[in-house]
Amino acid sequence: MTITPEELAAFADGELTGADKERVAAAIARDESLARQLEAHCALKARLAGHFAPVLEQPIPDRLTQMLTNDVKDEPGAANVVDFAVAREERAAKRLLPAWGWGGAVAASIAAVVVLSTYSGEPGPGYAGTQIAQMLDAQTIAEQPTDADKRVLLSFRNRDGEFCRAYNAAGEGGIACRDAKGWRLEATGQGEVGGKAQYRMAGSDREILEIAQEMAVGEALDADAEVAARKAGWRD
Amino acid sequence: MRRFAIGLAGHPADGDDLCQMTIERALSRREQWQEGTRLDSWAYRIMRNIWIDESRARQRRGQTFIDEEAGLLVGADGAQEARIELGDIDRAMARLPEEQREAVLLVMVEGYSYKEAAEIVGCPVGTLNSRLVRGRDALMALLGEGS
Repeated sequence: MTITPEELAAFADGELTGADKERVAAAIARDESLARQLEAHCALKARLAGHFAPVLEQPIPDRLTQMLTNDVKDEPGAANVVDFAVAREERAAKRLLPAWGWGGAVAASIAAVVVLSTYSGEPGPGYAGTQIAQMLDAQTIAEQPTDADKRVLLSFRNRDGEFCRAYNAAGEGGIACRDAKGWRLEATGQGEVGGKAQYRMAGSDREILEIAQEMAVGEALDADAEVAARKAGWRD
Repeated sequence: MRRFAIGLAGHPADGDDLCQMTIERALSRREQWQEGTRLDSWAYRIMRNIWIDESRARQRRGQTFIDEEAGLLVGADGAQEARIELGDIDRAMARLPEEQREAVLLVMVEGYSYKEAAEIVGCPVGTLNSRLVRGRDALMALLGEGS
């Protein structure tokens, strides 16, 4: 007798009773692949529960508790009603401005092209030039001045376990991953280096962040992890 | 409520906005809650309706989701929040269709029975069951846990 995925899920979630429950349980006992599916279902459930559990530990923002402790007026306070879209945009603007110098500088950044291969002692086409490489080697996000014109924006690991860093260097944005030769460029705001567009073109800083998001495996490095990675030369 | 809101919205700050709107609406309509029914289910139903309205409104305005990159920017400060935002799970959840995401959240995170979850969402239990399975399978595939 076939057990549908829906039945198996219902069994795993304790939804089945009586004969249905026994039927599915018997099928699972006979069929190893069903048992594995059951296990996967429960594992995912546990992982999701664990992932969202910290929300319950966090302090509840004042603006939420205040709504429930204040005397409730008969008319829902018009002044306090959140406009979701406006709140969202304001927040986005706050995040964007200090972090990116969002605005004219970014527009200019796409045009301002630093030709990497003109630096001496380059590791070669496809790798970050000396100045950017130095920044990527040395600079941690926690320590760098917020108005530095060469800034690392994010450090993370890619699928190969390499350390990668997204940066914005005097208008040139990019992502580089550290391999044995140096900081290999994965994306840059200038599109082509060394005549070959072998990595993805990132026309804007926004796109660079999107690419970083796709490349990243696991969490972004926090301040401690960055210091540790720097100590290790960004190599394992 | 915050947990469900953050799960729906995919971002802590958006989740808190959603919570705030839900509380406002719930307070203004508190006479509509029927004693003897679950207050949390009622509040969740309000919340997901607000979220759907907001999502539609945003699509009409032609806005794209900026959560992911905004999350990256928060991460750029080395803040703890980045741990939540850059997680594989959040990214996978964000890629689920709305109806699958809410089914997964209600059952697998909030621990509602299929019947209760179906009532919150306003669909038959069988539909809820199949949305859950599809959402779960998609999540497993995205997280590389497919069997």
